Amino acid sequence: MTGKENLRVKKTNLKAQKKGLDSHTGSHIKAGSGPFVTRGNIKTMSLALAVLVAFGLPLVITSPTYLHIIVLMFFYAYLTTSWNMVGGFAGVLPLGHSVFIGIGAYTSTILSLQYGVSPWIGMMIGGILSVFVGVLIGLPTFKMRGAYFALATIAFAEGFRVMVENIDFIGPLNVNGPRGLQIPPQNYGFANFMFAGKEPYYYIILIMLIGVLALTWFISRSKLGYYLNAGGEEPEAAMALGVNVAKTKLAAMAISSFFTALAGTFYAQFSLFIHPKSIISLDISFEIAFIALIGGRGSIAGPVLGALLLRPVSDFSRIYFGDILPGLHLVIYGVILILVMIFQPRGIQESLTRMYDSVVDRVVTWSQKDGEA
Amino acid sequence: MKILEITDMVMRFGGLTAVNKLNLSIDQGEILGLIGPNGAGKSTVFNCVAGVYAPTGGRVQFNGQTINNEKPWNLCKKGLARTFQLVKPFATKSVLYNVVVGAFATTDNTKEAEQKAIEILKALKFEDKKEVKASSLTIADRKRLEIARALATEPKLLLFDEVMAGLRPAEVDGMVEIIKRLRKTGITIFLIEHIMRAIMALSDRIVVIHFGKKIAEGTPQQVASNDNVIKAYLGDDYGVS
Amino acid sequence: MIYLLEDAINGILMGSIYGLTALGLTIVFGVLKVINFAHGSLLMVGMYLALWSVSLIGIHPYLALIIVVPVMYFFGYYLQDIVIKPIFKAEKDVREPITVIIVTTGVWYVLDNLTLLIFGPQYRSIQANPLKGKMIELGEIFISVPKLWGFCTAIITAFGVYYFFQYTRMGRAIRATSLDRDAASLAGINQYKIYNIAFGIGTAVAGIAAVTLVPFYNIFPTVGVLFDIKGFIIVVLGGLGSMGGAIIGGIIVGLIESIGPQFMTATWTEAIVYGLFLLVLFVKPSGLFGEKHDW
Repeated sequence: MTGKENLRVKKTNLKAQKKGLDSHTGSHIKAGSGPFVTRGNIKTMSLALAVLVAFGLPLVITSPTYLHIIVLMFFYAYLTTSWNMVGGFAGVLPLGHSVFIGIGAYTSTILSLQYGVSPWIGMMIGGILSVFVGVLIGLPTFKMRGAYFALATIAFAEGFRVMVENIDFIGPLNVNGPRGLQIPPQNYGFANFMFAGKEPYYYIILIMLIGVLALTWFISRSKLGYYLNAGGEEPEAAMALGVNVAKTKLAAMAISSFFTALAGTFYAQFSLFIHPKSIISLDISFEIAFIALIGGRGSIAGPVLGALLLRPVSDFSRIYFGDILPGLHLVIYGVILILVMIFQPRGIQESLTRMYDSVVDRVVTWSQKDGEA
Repeated sequence: MKILEITDMVMRFGGLTAVNKLNLSIDQGEILGLIGPNGAGKSTVFNCVAGVYAPTGGRVQFNGQTINNEKPWNLCKKGLARTFQLVKPFATKSVLYNVVVGAFATTDNTKEAEQKAIEILKALKFEDKKEVKASSLTIADRKRLEIARALATEPKLLLFDEVMAGLRPAEVDGMVEIIKRLRKTGITIFLIEHIMRAIMALSDRIVVIHFGKKIAEGTPQQVASNDNVIKAYLGDDYGVS
Repeated sequence: MIYLLEDAINGILMGSIYGLTALGLTIVFGVLKVINFAHGSLLMVGMYLALWSVSLIGIHPYLALIIVVPVMYFFGYYLQDIVIKPIFKAEKDVREPITVIIVTTGVWYVLDNLTLLIFGPQYRSIQANPLKGKMIELGEIFISVPKLWGFCTAIITAFGVYYFFQYTRMGRAIRATSLDRDAASLAGINQYKIYNIAFGIGTAVAGIAAVTLVPFYNIFPTVGVLFDIKGFIIVVLGGLGSMGGAIIGGIIVGLIESIGPQFMTATWTEAIVYGLFLLVLFVKPSGLFGEKHDW
């Protein structure tokens, strides 16, 4: 939670600074004559600030344990944002996304362990494979009702996990069944995606997260984004307006599965051990979906907010209560999920965004008042 | 060439024949009205033309091209647009957003689509409500939104499915004005209506169907005085023979 | 050959119990048109209930039905009333109440992990078990007695439920609501009350299934997950909403599970069940006996 506190402190400082700035050049700035402090500007600046803080964090927080937690937090934020492309924008409920994490992780790991292929390349190959699988899953299931789609994704994910758990070899590829694959921590360096400290991993996942958020933002403003929203809300009307709803959903699925797979490789390189129960589990699929839903699917900020707020909860409950009360964090997730769905189905981002907007508005009116003084 | 030509169209749903050997055609630039008692099969005709159903028999031609098995989105790209009897706005989105979705039928660029959408809203005197969420619109405005959306796809043929239903008389007049203006831009209009004074005022020709079959065709005056039509609407006792 | 027959028979018996576990799920779907993802967890709750009833009072496991069925009924009734009804009301006009699915998934997680928290992860079973390990010998075939009891219970329950829905006033009211809720409410039926009752019945049936399982199945917090997923598969196989379909679907799964290992490893058998499920979803989503939906 240190990151968030920092952010809040910095924001108040920024507000104070703005007031100072405006009263400095106050005589030149009148309300309405091309003001410096517009809502758009403030939002961009606070965003830039958040990014700066995120990049600067490892300089302040050096404990590997905390860094590890934050890395996983970003990891989940990345996963939920990728999930959001299908689960949020396309309006369906995929509950088996861990299958793509598994494909990504196993592909890059097998390629690097057995054939010495750089994990970066393996990552891309894993991504492409996932696209195929994702489209394969989506083709028949997108026509179905929501509940059936959800079930089908669960069946795919569980079926895949069962298969991987029971196969030792796929042809020449060593999958090692339930024992999983271990990556020896050697050959450090960027090319091998292997680092001694947590910091490089931190920056990689942060950049990935920013990348995927930017992509989501672009898509939401593009034809695909509009079409996805339309198809999700009123498919019949959308079709009459030229939207091939099934095709757009498949496009969303392809993008989502690709980026989810990349996270699989990241996880493999970060934790150096993958096995079916850890990365192709229903628990992870559900956790991703829960966080995105609580945060607010279909919005850009929702999944990230969800991860930033919920992951610390789960981590702390695991650290402090893990032995006495196992599974407490899941109970908390479940209860929060139910409450949010009853009272605020669009997710907590709805009220958080409203609060943020009113803060921004107040800053704008403050600065305009200063200008007139 | 006729813009729309329906030849011997049949539509069966299991044992029920909803449309029975229907023949009708529309000239470019015409306004054709389709009327008939409830359950006569009017919406089914629309759905067959618009690609929701593939007709069980017969042929539908749009600008000379047979479109029996075409999907709605492809038909839209070809220039055929429709509205829905039960309006289906994208309720959580703004009016502008709704129309932009339609505008994307002719462009891939968001800026361009937004500009086109605003033009359409201006033409329909709707621009002031562009940021309003669709779910908070009145029924008359929702109908206008349906039309705006469909218009944004730059159609050559527009199918209006009971676009006046639920409107008050003043609103009906407003809608009639809108449709008259649309015709001036060269769009062909095919409309289903129950509100007689609207369809009489608008249509160049009217087709009357009953039990899925055409029972009369002609100018509004001809149709209004047609015995079969009167019988169909009011029952056999009222036929003037 | 003889082993095949033995496997087949035991498979049918176990399958009927699977069908029983899925029966509640299909009832809830048939009426509320919602797939209750928490069904497995409800089953698990029933199993713990049965376990405690037997351990504390020392009665025959099947007598625990007296306690388990009513408790489960009310548990389901109020779960629907308090947790799920608000979402139903909020999503009245939405084409597909996906949020309800999400909420039931939340309930699943809460129930499973709360149980884990309170009772711990240990596997439990009833101590004084009059049915434990008993077998009937038919020539060279051994038939598991607890499973036989389960089979009989499943058949009786299925018929009982069928009778209820066909011939009793409440049952007909429920069917009316499932067919057309607006029309039913015009006829004076309170649809939300009906939903509560239907959910209660579905949960009670899960309770019956739980009782049949307790004599031979281990009890632990996540025991429901397996039955949950199998339940979905069975219910899709047999046709959502069809009670006979649930039993028959269960028997099919039971047969695959018992005969499969003769020809391949047990876990490939599991994969086959998933594969069959996906096949049915793609080829005939309405299942063997289900009603046609607008897919």
